[in-house]
Amino acid sequence: MKTGAVELVQLRKQFGDVTAVDGIDVSIEAGEFFSLLGPSGCGKTTTLRLIAGFERPTDGKILLDGSDMAATPPHRRKVNTVFQSYALFPHLDVFDNVAFGLRRAHVQKADVRTRVHRVLEAVQLGGYDKRKPGQLSGGQQQRVALARALVLEPAVLLLDEPLGALDAKLRKALQLELKSIQERFGITFVYVTHDQEEALTMSDRIAVMSGGRVEQIATPERMYEEPKTVFVADFLGVSNLMHVTAEGPDGDSCRTKLGDFALRAGCGEVGHRGETYVVIRPERVAVEPYETAGENRVPGMIERVVYHGASDQLVVRLATGDTVQALFVNDGSQRDWAQGTPVQVHFPAEALRVLPASTAAETAVALAPEAGAEGASPAVEVGAG
Amino acid sequence: MRRVRDWFANPWGQPRALGAVTWLYMAWSIVPVCIAILFSFNNGRSRSVWQGFSTRWWWGDPNNSVLHDPSLRGAIEQSLKLGGLDMLIAVPLGVGLAIGLTRWRGYGARPVNYLMLFPLVTPEIVMAVSLLLVFSLLYSIPFGTEAQTLGQVTFSISYVVIIVRGRLLSIGPEYEEAARDLGASQVGAFRLALLPLLWPAVFASFIVVFALSIDDFVVTDYLSAGQSTQTVPILIYSSVRGTATPALNAVATVMVTITLLSVGLAYFVYRWASRSQPATSGSALNEIAALEV
Repeated sequence: MKTGAVELVQLRKQFGDVTAVDGIDVSIEAGEFFSLLGPSGCGKTTTLRLIAGFERPTDGKILLDGSDMAATPPHRRKVNTVFQSYALFPHLDVFDNVAFGLRRAHVQKADVRTRVHRVLEAVQLGGYDKRKPGQLSGGQQQRVALARALVLEPAVLLLDEPLGALDAKLRKALQLELKSIQERFGITFVYVTHDQEEALTMSDRIAVMSGGRVEQIATPERMYEEPKTVFVADFLGVSNLMHVTAEGPDGDSCRTKLGDFALRAGCGEVGHRGETYVVIRPERVAVEPYETAGENRVPGMIERVVYHGASDQLVVRLATGDTVQALFVNDGSQRDWAQGTPVQVHFPAEALRVLPASTAAETAVALAPEAGAEGASPAVEVGAG
Repeated sequence: MRRVRDWFANPWGQPRALGAVTWLYMAWSIVPVCIAILFSFNNGRSRSVWQGFSTRWWWGDPNNSVLHDPSLRGAIEQSLKLGGLDMLIAVPLGVGLAIGLTRWRGYGARPVNYLMLFPLVTPEIVMAVSLLLVFSLLYSIPFGTEAQTLGQVTFSISYVVIIVRGRLLSIGPEYEEAARDLGASQVGAFRLALLPLLWPAVFASFIVVFALSIDDFVVTDYLSAGQSTQTVPILIYSSVRGTATPALNAVATVMVTITLLSVGLAYFVYRWASRSQPATSGSALNEIAALEV
């Protein structure tokens, strides 16, 4: 049987008056690449530290392969951590850093040498034995930190924003490498990040956290395509959120009203009636010449054109006052979109998603201070890391 | 005129005015020491009129030279003895206290952190009188080496705590957490991860405590048991009114030499201990300069 299944049951952690983790239920399968994604202060790092054993839960259970670990100190848990700052011991060379854990476990001297060398080869650091951490680049230090944890063959590897300190290009390369190492070793990875792109590209499943709670757990595709809450829709990439009145189902879609304009929404909570939000991804929004006829079309005016290199981003102000973003791949076609051009914005019904009403109330708060990827949700002020 | 001013201000290089001030200060503070050392080689009894070179106050004079006068030799020995004892007791205690205050934080940590500063800001004479009263009335500790050592340890610990605490705060808890994560017990994490990173601060503490101890006059004098336990500062002070000979200068020179040697030694040990720590370079004094109060 594969080991490394982690189950968090009603896990809660309180620091004084602040609740960092608020009764979460997460079940991570053995051998899975599982990401905890959220803005800073959402409780993701605390969750990781609870699994590692650096913090004691206020309430709830942490099950590793079925047995509760809450009372086990960190050095007796079959989990290892890759720290955000790497925390390599500066007074030890690469070999001794990697061998640290093996020596604590009283592994035979010859075994230590072969295992350290094997894992250093695996992270492409063969021959770096005698270097001190201070003589390595950021990416190399990151690999040593990874090797130091992997060499112990843990059931679960915890990674706390391990690529956070690296530049964009190296980060991309290491993302792929991490993923392939995870597949090769078959270890459960629990990966904490605030970078939604990183989570989407690497994970088998993602848990989006906010304010100490789990908003949604899903695969990257489903998380992106079918966000369950306004927070998730907003946090994962850019999305257009529009406040509408739902008027009930119409076949397998939902009739909604955006101001005076009727919009047919083809997915999400189509049976809903009353005030709610609809969401659409910018790459699904179509911009057409002014006065193009058809359903789900709203007139507007181009407010801003942003050149992104590979794509163009349009910001359009609708007649209702809402602003929406549209994204176009730079395929070479000529577009004469100048600021102030009147256009017709098309929201294809199959891409327009009705969000559940339960989130509508909290959304009013969440959206008020320009909720964005930086995470200005009301929960941000709360809690540690 | 303008050229002179420009040369002095030196707008594209190091400002010469600052250099001049630095060197003036160096000269100002070193000249008295050099003169004191020079007069230990005086051929007469005077400590202010040069009468030719001799080594009589060092070993030539059969009664009054440093080598032959037991009171002079005793003072040097007592100073070194107290310095050594103070280092051996105050540094381990201070290191332990600093770790306790920063790592195993409890409700009392904050007030204790402020109380640690008390010995630094209390006038030494007040401290000495209090120690005298407490030692004699409350604990009946015999005056002399025991009381002097305890007295010096009392105020030295504060310096050790402050030096080590600053270092601990800059190290952060992640090294210990990493060690624990990799299978080290709590004690193991301290020994294998924290202590090696703490060595530079420990060495800095040794130097500071030694310097404090051999320099101390008030507390050491109050808690002494007369002539037999007088240290070099006490000896020099009490001889000024009596028969001061250049032998006193020789004693002072011995102390200066020992201090310089120990600082020099500590500097190299410090460099060696912190060789793999990029965050710190230079001397142990960085530790003191980086104090976080």
